[in-house]
Amino acid sequence: MKKGIIAIVAVLFVSAFLLITAHSQEDMKVVDRSVFKNPQKFSSVFKHEEHNEKAKIEECNECHHVYEDGKLVDGESSEDRRCSDCHKLESSGREPSLVKAYHTNCKGCHQKNKKGPVMCGECHVR
Amino acid sequence: MHDIYSFVSGPLAWVAFIAFFAGIMYRLIDMIVQVIKKEPFIFTYMSLKYSLRSIIHWITPFGTLNWRRNPILTIVTFAFHISLILSPIFLLSHVTLWDEAWNISWWTLPDGVADIMALIVIAGSLFFLIRRLTQREVKFVTSTSDYVILAIVAAPFVTGFLAYHQFFGYPIFVILHILAGEIMLVAIPFTRLSHMIFSLFTRAYMGSEFGVIRKSKDY
Repeated sequence: MKKGIIAIVAVLFVSAFLLITAHSQEDMKVVDRSVFKNPQKFSSVFKHEEHNEKAKIEECNECHHVYEDGKLVDGESSEDRRCSDCHKLESSGREPSLVKAYHTNCKGCHQKNKKGPVMCGECHVR
Repeated sequence: MHDIYSFVSGPLAWVAFIAFFAGIMYRLIDMIVQVIKKEPFIFTYMSLKYSLRSIIHWITPFGTLNWRRNPILTIVTFAFHISLILSPIFLLSHVTLWDEAWNISWWTLPDGVADIMALIVIAGSLFFLIRRLTQREVKFVTSTSDYVILAIVAAPFVTGFLAYHQFFGYPIFVILHILAGEIMLVAIPFTRLSHMIFSLFTRAYMGSEFGVIRKSKDY
């Protein structure tokens, strides 16, 4: 019984540790492209913390938005989900594909604020 | 750099695409008007059968005596034109931008294939340049504008290749690439690059004349 509890606790600790390290934003240097079977472009350089400090972004949902029926839901945020949970590889209806969602989200904001990379290879650095 | 990029990829791109499509329409309508005004009799012998015979033979590699006579020129010409037309239309990066701007998208080439096609266009341009400089019969009919046209065609591929590989000066080459592409689009209807639209009509006319008037087996 005792051994069982220790084993469960150990597993919980290990998985919690893995979860934390896997999702650590400080460590994020590029955008994960593992959903693409045959990626054509280099992973986008994206240093999460550095970006948000530079861009003075406080709220998660400035990027991690939630849309329902094509409308932005105020105050809701989606950083607990993967972008690819909603955005599929192909666009469907008004929902942009994963690639298009990233491009619109990142490049759109950069163009609006005239700051940050806008040309393909400025993010997809070799 | 933001402002320059936004300008060349925004308003200037609109100008280039509109000039390209409107220019093609204008040249086609103008051609028909000129023919009706000056040589309407050619309509009496224009023939679909002989037009297609000529077009099909000439768009087939080694499909005509002239293509067979110069095998190297034939291979380069076909590889050059196929790459020149297909790679920009089916390039992933281009389709991505059109999708973002106009919500249109289609099948794309793998980047590696497009890269080789760009090299084929660049090598082909060099081949045509050397040919103009060295072959007596070609040199004789070459003027400055031929070199300018060749440069206009090669430029988008040279800059595109350099930008894609991010060797150096990436943002500069992207902007030069967009500009070069726009210059080429505008140049197509208004320079001898218009053979893109007129070559079919030239062949149809030649084919019809040889078939119907001269009753020759030639096309």
